[in-house]
Amino acid sequence: MVDAFAYVPAIVLLPFFSFVVALAAGRYLPKGGAFGGIAATAGSSLLSLWVLATVAGGEAYNETIYTWASAGGIGPTDIELTFGLLIDPLSALMLVIVTLVALLVHVFSLGYMNDEGETGLPRYYAGLGLFTASMLGFVVADNLLMAFMFFELVGLCSYLLIGFHFREEGPPSAAKKAFLVTRFGDYFFLVGVVAVLATFGTAQFAGDGSFPALADQALSGAGDVAWVPGGLELGTWFTIIGLLVLGGVVGKSAQFPLHTWLPDAMEGPTPVSALIHAATMVAAGVYLVARMFGFYALTPTTLAVIAFVGGFTALFAATMGVVKDELKQVLAYSTISQYGYMMLALGAGSYVAATFHLMTHAFFKALLFLGAGAVIIAMHHNENMWDMGGLKERMPVTYWTFLAGSLALAGIFPFAGFWSKDEILYEAFVHGLNDPLLLGGWVMGLLAVPVTAFYTFRMVFLTFHGEPRSELARDPEPVRWNVKGPLTVLGSLAVVAGLVNMVPVQKLLGIDGIDFLTQWLNNDFGGIDGVSYSAYNDLLATYGGYAPAELLGLSEELTLLVAAGLSLGLAVVGVLVAWRLYNVASPTEHTAKLGGIKDVLYNNYYLDELQVWTAYRTEDAAGGADTFDQGIIDGVVNGTSSVALAAGSRVRRIQTGLVTHYAAMLTLGLLALLVALGVSGGWFL
Amino acid sequence: MILEAFIAFTFVAALVVMVAPDEWAGKLAFGLSLAPFLGSLYLWSQFDAVGNALTGGTIAFESRIEWLEVGGRSISWFVGLDGISLPLVVLTTFLVPLAIVSAWTPIDTRQSQFYGLLLFMEANLLGVFAALDFFLWFIFWEAVLVPMYFLIGVWGGPRRKYAAIKFFVYTNAASLLMFIGFMSLTFALGDSVSSFGLPEITQAIAAGGLGTWFGFEAGTIAMAAFLAMFLGFAVKVPIVPVHTWLPDAHVEAPTPVSVLLAGVLLKMGTYALLRFNFTMLPDQASALAIPIAAIAVISVIYGAMLALAQKDLKRIVAYSSVSSMGYVILGLVVFTEYGVGGATFQMVAHGLISGLMFMAVGVMYNATHTRMVGDMSGMADRMPVTVGILVAGAFGYMGLPLMAGFAGEFFIFVGAFGAPSLPYAPIFTALAMFGIVVVAGYLLAAMQKTLFGPFRLETDYEVGRAPLHDVAPLAVLLAAIIVLGVAPDIFFEMIRDAAGPVVEGVSVDV
Repeated sequence: MVDAFAYVPAIVLLPFFSFVVALAAGRYLPKGGAFGGIAATAGSSLLSLWVLATVAGGEAYNETIYTWASAGGIGPTDIELTFGLLIDPLSALMLVIVTLVALLVHVFSLGYMNDEGETGLPRYYAGLGLFTASMLGFVVADNLLMAFMFFELVGLCSYLLIGFHFREEGPPSAAKKAFLVTRFGDYFFLVGVVAVLATFGTAQFAGDGSFPALADQALSGAGDVAWVPGGLELGTWFTIIGLLVLGGVVGKSAQFPLHTWLPDAMEGPTPVSALIHAATMVAAGVYLVARMFGFYALTPTTLAVIAFVGGFTALFAATMGVVKDELKQVLAYSTISQYGYMMLALGAGSYVAATFHLMTHAFFKALLFLGAGAVIIAMHHNENMWDMGGLKERMPVTYWTFLAGSLALAGIFPFAGFWSKDEILYEAFVHGLNDPLLLGGWVMGLLAVPVTAFYTFRMVFLTFHGEPRSELARDPEPVRWNVKGPLTVLGSLAVVAGLVNMVPVQKLLGIDGIDFLTQWLNNDFGGIDGVSYSAYNDLLATYGGYAPAELLGLSEELTLLVAAGLSLGLAVVGVLVAWRLYNVASPTEHTAKLGGIKDVLYNNYYLDELQVWTAYRTEDAAGGADTFDQGIIDGVVNGTSSVALAAGSRVRRIQTGLVTHYAAMLTLGLLALLVALGVSGGWFL
Repeated sequence: MILEAFIAFTFVAALVVMVAPDEWAGKLAFGLSLAPFLGSLYLWSQFDAVGNALTGGTIAFESRIEWLEVGGRSISWFVGLDGISLPLVVLTTFLVPLAIVSAWTPIDTRQSQFYGLLLFMEANLLGVFAALDFFLWFIFWEAVLVPMYFLIGVWGGPRRKYAAIKFFVYTNAASLLMFIGFMSLTFALGDSVSSFGLPEITQAIAAGGLGTWFGFEAGTIAMAAFLAMFLGFAVKVPIVPVHTWLPDAHVEAPTPVSVLLAGVLLKMGTYALLRFNFTMLPDQASALAIPIAAIAVISVIYGAMLALAQKDLKRIVAYSSVSSMGYVILGLVVFTEYGVGGATFQMVAHGLISGLMFMAVGVMYNATHTRMVGDMSGMADRMPVTVGILVAGAFGYMGLPLMAGFAGEFFIFVGAFGAPSLPYAPIFTALAMFGIVVVAGYLLAAMQKTLFGPFRLETDYEVGRAPLHDVAPLAVLLAAIIVLGVAPDIFFEMIRDAAGPVVEGVSVDV
């Protein structure tokens, strides 16, 4: 039998070849290299499905394939820096998600980029190809260093694609900001990688010698680590490492306070926003936490921080989404908010709920962005929702798919987002009763539900309902199959993807076997020991005291119903408020009612200003350093030489300043030295 | 005898080019400079050294001819290579042909002398990396300054004389200090050595051969010698605060000279630090670990801050060299295989990347006649290929994974973070690592202002694409950077082999 795992490198390399081809020969190819990209991502998708099927057949793969470098470490053995593949239920699932979204985005780009007559298409498709390859490399990485490397490459691609329209002022600036802000997070991540290598001598994710396993053994007294800095307690040090790696996660997954780059990143072409800034790259942070969850499960403090940051971000970003006027801006803040939910889930110890929401969100947010892209094509690149309205009749496919995505985002039963978000809130709630930080995260997550539903449907109503508010909206440009096709696929997924994990239904009605995703991630089909939902639950129970609490003596079923009912009810309230305010023939802004809060929200709580201020102060400091350097340090150097020159004024006659004279003197001096040495050494005898 | 032939050929090539007509001196120099490059590839293929040349390892291509005797010690023509010097030899011979091609456009006077001096400098650089006798090494070391002085002073920018003299006097004074330091060491060794061979001296010191001299204790002499040599080499590297000659020299030097200055000449300093200070006197080095690490961190952060304040693209790259060299010092002082090996790898990586950056800035300067950030914008519109490679190089400088710079820096970080010989190693390392954020800040900001946005440049002619011979060296360098980043073991394996014995020179209680 042919082994699917042998083709995993091809999944990564196919899009890479598409990058090379588009870069080298894109301008000679039809459609600027688009077909190469489509073929490559289609190939990767098929291979990923094959891998998924193989994993479903009970196989897994965890092998090193290439040693990058190796040298002596602190312990007796060498530290090997390697590349390898880790294919288990989590990464196989992620491979399918990434390749599928990438494929659809490539197809959509035909409509959004080629049909719109953009220039620089080879560069665009090269960027998409390199991005897809880097992201897939990140997904299959079997160790933290390799993950970091591809994580950074993903950041590079994001830079290149945000700044795609480099001839304008905005995109290069946004690209710089995106790279720099995520770099700041990656700095902590890199320190974390180095700390992991120094501490454990390995950065492997899974297996007996992996760092989560070693950490577990060290904490339980069954083993030892190579190094711990300056007498720190093991638990403290592991918490520090966990928080360091979390820095990278906060940057890439756009969590507070490093979320500011993501709304700016909307300067990139819309398909890029869908692929990178919603469905995949931003997911990299959350995926990383899930990937090394065996380590995070050992440090309850880190988990509580993750949960709190996540819950806070979910609410914080959602409030800013309420006042935005541009379609993509709303979606940007919504993305930040949704990743907050995933972080909340991880912090609550619910690995499955986070992965579940990662998956459903990838589908419905890619859908919403592509839908927004279709609207933007129709509106001739006007993104202001106040110029839209009434597009429902004029672009039905876009409307109905967008509506499906919106219902999913708002968490309305039975769309995909309902299931995953509900599970997150439930898990945060039952675990949060033991931990105030976690409970705080849950409260904020719950408060974000109606806000999410409100801004989502404000967006839907303003865009598609009511009367057209501009000439553009009255006569939108039609879109073709290459736009409608991807929308339809994703629209279907937004409706049904939630059905893979109907945990509440299973518990309430006692129907077994419909919690497919939970079984999948629990290695019920097969996987790698120690990397599964139940293994993590054991760790959580041992180290964090994570156990579901009973609420006021209610039974589990009742708690479940109350939690689901609460979040659904709040979501419906949000939708109804939006309906009341904006589903009218000619809606008005209503934001004036917010008073001073409106300005705060419009200006994103002034956090961008704070970061710009920090950048300027850094520049001032640099200017000060430069003055110091030129004035004091170099001043001393020049001063010394002046003193020397003044003292040597008597020999000024030979300081002719003529280079030829100096040359002659140097040559003569060298000659004299050689002669002297030669004579004294008896060289000429 | 192959090393002799190798170095001698380069000298002869320099002489031939010197007397060639100006019209085709550039082409001739390029053709001749390919021979040393191919030669170094041949050396690489035949390379069979084991361990470190100074600590008693097998030396490749060893050749020793007794030359003369001074004060009971013999001076020899003594050359050979090990895993630390071979990569630097390959780097030198690789960069010189590229630098020569990059000179074809900007150098339009006295071409034969220019290229002749360039090759003369190459010959001496090869000598510096190959020499294993102190006097031989010192002659090559000093002789490098001569062509460099003329290359800056004759073909440089408006303030070329100031820059050339500053460079010459500063580094020469430092050499004097270093010379005195080394000499006091040899005198204190007394009868335990009979030559100026570096391996012999190193091993004698390791065996406890240092005695009292002029009433000073062995330890005092060793420490004084360490400090004198450290300061002497620090100027060459350069390390803060003795770095101020570097930006002046770079700004005034023509592009190909900047390429070699940043690419190879700075590595003479770090190479010598590794050979003399850290290999010969490891105990002193680890006794001073904290101040040296502090200087390294200051170089990284302060250099990066200075780069942030600059408006001249060349000055930005020049100051960022100060920053990058700080990493090398950190790698050396921690005495781990990854640290010392990474520092050596970083020498090669930085040589390629800074060479690429200077060259790319030079290609843009050829077309625009300005390097000031505020003078132009949107260059990507007019010179897409050059700008594309410049952007790739800048990301290499920022330490993008799978490019050579990341490998070097990462090895250093891994080696330094838990280093047992350096107290507070994690804190020093984490502070130095913050450089990767600042470097991204100033390079991205400079790129945004000059390369992107609407095209704007005040000229009375049309700015077009760069000629092929300007762009080709950039592409070759970029390819090399990526190859080394993906497969660092090309060099790192031999470097690690030679760095291992250096690390063992320090005994640490873990």
